[in-house]
Amino acid sequence: MIRALIIDDEQHAREELEHLVRATGVFEILGSCTNVIDALRKIRTEKPELIFLDIEMPALNGFELLAMLEDELMPHVVFVTAYNEYALKSFEEKTLDYLLKPVSPQRLLKTVNKVRDMIRRGDPPRYQAESLSHIPCQFANRVKFISPATVDYVYSDVAGIYVVTHDGHFFTELTLRVLEERTALLRCQRQYLVNPERIDEIIFFANGLGEIKTRAGNTLPVSRRYLRQLKVSLQL
Amino acid sequence: MLLMFELLQQTAVLIVVAYLFSKSPAMDYLSGGKLQKRQLLFLYVVFSLFSILGTYEGLPIQGAIANTRAIGAVLAGLIGGPILGLSVGLTAGLHRFSLGGFTAFSCGISTTVEGLVGGLVYLYLNRRKQPEQVFHPLIAFATTLVAEMLQMTIILIMARPFTDAVALVKVIALPMICANSVGAALFMSMVRDQRRVRDKVGALFSSKAFTVADRTLGILSRGFSSETAREMAEIIREETAVGAVAITDRSEILAFSGIGADHHHAGNSVVSKWSKQALFENRVVFADGFNENFKCPLVDNCPIGSVLVVPLQVDQEVVGTISLYEPKTKLFLNINRSFGEGLATLYSHQLLRSRFEEQKSLLVQSELKLIQAQVNPHFLFNALNTIMAVVRKDAGQARELLLQLSTFFRTNLKRSQDIVTLEEELAHIGSYLEIEKARFGERLFVYQQIDPVLLNLQIPVFTLQPLIENAIKHGVAHLLDHGKVWVRAYCETGFVIIEVEDNAGNYRPPIEPQGLGMRLVDRRIKNIYGQEFGLTVACVPHEKTLVQIKFPLDKEILDDSGANH
Repeated sequence: MIRALIIDDEQHAREELEHLVRATGVFEILGSCTNVIDALRKIRTEKPELIFLDIEMPALNGFELLAMLEDELMPHVVFVTAYNEYALKSFEEKTLDYLLKPVSPQRLLKTVNKVRDMIRRGDPPRYQAESLSHIPCQFANRVKFISPATVDYVYSDVAGIYVVTHDGHFFTELTLRVLEERTALLRCQRQYLVNPERIDEIIFFANGLGEIKTRAGNTLPVSRRYLRQLKVSLQL
Repeated sequence: MLLMFELLQQTAVLIVVAYLFSKSPAMDYLSGGKLQKRQLLFLYVVFSLFSILGTYEGLPIQGAIANTRAIGAVLAGLIGGPILGLSVGLTAGLHRFSLGGFTAFSCGISTTVEGLVGGLVYLYLNRRKQPEQVFHPLIAFATTLVAEMLQMTIILIMARPFTDAVALVKVIALPMICANSVGAALFMSMVRDQRRVRDKVGALFSSKAFTVADRTLGILSRGFSSETAREMAEIIREETAVGAVAITDRSEILAFSGIGADHHHAGNSVVSKWSKQALFENRVVFADGFNENFKCPLVDNCPIGSVLVVPLQVDQEVVGTISLYEPKTKLFLNINRSFGEGLATLYSHQLLRSRFEEQKSLLVQSELKLIQAQVNPHFLFNALNTIMAVVRKDAGQARELLLQLSTFFRTNLKRSQDIVTLEEELAHIGSYLEIEKARFGERLFVYQQIDPVLLNLQIPVFTLQPLIENAIKHGVAHLLDHGKVWVRAYCETGFVIIEVEDNAGNYRPPIEPQGLGMRLVDRRIKNIYGQEFGLTVACVPHEKTLVQIKFPLDKEILDDSGANH
C-alpha cells in the first residue's frame, strides 16, 4: 500500500478523487487537506510517500506548498488540475505525473503504475523545489506574504519560527532549514538566520563568538560553528 | 420722334456693352452686400467709361449733345452708393464739360447731380433695409427718370442764352428721359437676371450634390463592393445625366452604367489609360473630348468621347476610381467635372469612415470573444469535476447543475447582440453562480440586491460576467472560508450604479490578464455613454473589493417599468 495524501480546496473534488484513488486498491489514504497550511502540517506528521496536489488553492497554491517543504520530507507529487495551459509541460518534466480534472479512472491507473514502479525502485522524488519568492506567515485568520529581501532576520523560540521585518515579527510554518535552503538568508546561530543584505557590521569576539548588527539596529548572536560558514559565504 | 428712336438705338449699343459686362467676372462685384475699396475702384472705372461712352454715342443737336450719359452715373450711384455715384457723375461731367458747347457747364453739373441722385436712392433703400431693391429695374427706371428731369431743369436754369436752352430742352427732353430710363431699367434687369441664373445654378448644383450624397452614402456604408457600386453608379448617372458612370476598384470594373454598357462590363479589368493613370498616379484625370479624346480600348465605335476619372482613396491609398463619361456628341460640362471630383472626395471620407467603423466593430467582436474565451476552460472543467462528484451522492442536483451549465454556455455562445437588459444579464450570471456555489459550497455566499425598477435597464452584453468572475476567481476563491459576493443595482442621484463586491480584498490593479475583462467593460461603457461613466474599483486589502459601474439614468426606464409593474 502506498501512503498517500489528497490536497484540494474543493470538497467535491476531494471526495471524487478520494473515491477514485481508493477504488484502485493501491493506496492507504492518510487524509485529505483543504489548504496548504493544513497539508504542510499533515506531511510533517504523516510523512506520506505520495501526494495528490491541486494547484489552484486559496491563499497558497500547490507550488508554494512544495517550496515550503524540507527536502527530506518531499514526497512524490501528482499534480491534479482542471486546466493550466502554460504549466502542463513543465509539470511533466518536474513531477512524477499530472492528472486533469475530471479524472478518468483509466488515466489514474497509468499513474498508479508509474508511482508503484518508482517507489519499488526507491527513486527519490523528482520534484526540485524552487527558491522561495515569498515567505508565507500566518497572520490572524489569513496569510501574509513576506518577500525574503525585506526580512531583517529570522529566529526560533519555543513557540515557533518568527520572521522579523520592519513591520514586526511574523509567525511562519516554515522551518529555519527550509528558509536557509530556499532563500538567501544565512544561518549565524542555531536559532538565527540573517539577511546578508541587511548586515551593518559584524563584531568578532576573542572567544571565537561574534555579534551581528543589522541596519535596522537589531543585534544577533553568531556562534562559533556558523561564524566560519558566514565568513565563507560573505567572502571575508 | 426720330431722335427718340435714334437714342434708343444707341441705348441698344449700350445694352450690348452691358450684356458683355454682365457676363464678365465684374458681375461678382454686383452680388449685393458691402463692396470693398478695390471693387469700388473697379466699378468706378467701368461706370465712368460707360458714361463717357454714352456721351460719345450722343447725337449733336442744336449745339448740344443728346445722349445716354446719365445711365452710367445713375447706376453707379444705385449700385455703389453716393460716393461712387458722385465720382462717376463728376468724371463723366468733367469729360462732357471738356467737349464744350453752350450746355457744357450745365451738363457737367447735372451729370454729377444724377450720380448723386442714384446714390441717394441707394442710401434710402439701405436705410429701409431693402438693399436688394437697388437691383430692381423699376427703381432704376424711376431714379433715372427723376435724374433726367432734374438734368433738364438744370439746363434750363444754367444754360445761357435761355431761349436756346428752352428750344433744346423741348427737342431732347422726352427722348432723353425715356431712352435713359429705359436703358437703365434694361441694364438692371440684365444684371438681375444674370444674378438669378447664378443663384439658380448654384442652388441646383448644391441640391443635386446633396441628393446624390444622400442617396449614395447609405449604400456605400454597406461596403465597397460590386453590388453597392452598381447601385451608386445608377444613382450618379440618373442625377447628373452624364452619358455613363463607372466605378472600379484597383483592378477591375465594379459597375458600369450608361452608354457603352454593351462592351464596358462589370468584372472587366481596368484597361483605359485614363483610369490607370488615376489609379497609379493618384490624381484626377480628365479627357475633355476636345483637346484630348477618350479612345475606347475595347471597340472602335464606342460612343464615349470624354471622361473624367477621379481616384477614391483611403488613408493616402487608392482603392478605386469613379469615372464619368460623356458621348462624343456632348460636351463635358464643367459643373459635372467639379461634381465628380467633389463626390470622389466625399466617398473617400466615407470609405475611411466605414473602414474605421468596421475595424472598431471587429475589435468589439473579438473583445467579446475574448471575454467569452476567458471563462471557458477553468470554469468548464471544474464544473464538470464538481458535477461528477455530485452524481455519486445526488443525481437530482447533478442534473440540475448540468442544466445550469448548458444554459450558461448556450447563452454565452448565442449572445451576438450588443445590448441586453439587466434582467437577462442577471439570468446569465445566475447559472454561472449556481455552479460556482455548488463547487465552493460553504465558501461562497452570493447576495443579490437589485432594484426591480432597473430590470429593464439596457446594458452592454457581458457587463456583469467579468466582474462576477473576477470576484470569485481572484477574490473569494482565495479565501479559506466565508467568501461573500454582493451584486447590487440601484439608482443614485441621476445615475444607475451596478456593483459587485467581495470580501476578499485581493484586487491588484496592474496584474494581467485578470484586469482585461474589466478594462473592456469600462471602455465599452465609456464609448457608449461618455467619459463620466464607466467602472471604478475600490479595494480595502483583506477586507473588500468593490467594483462599481456608473450608467446614466434613463428616465424612460423608470417610466416604462412603472407602467409595467
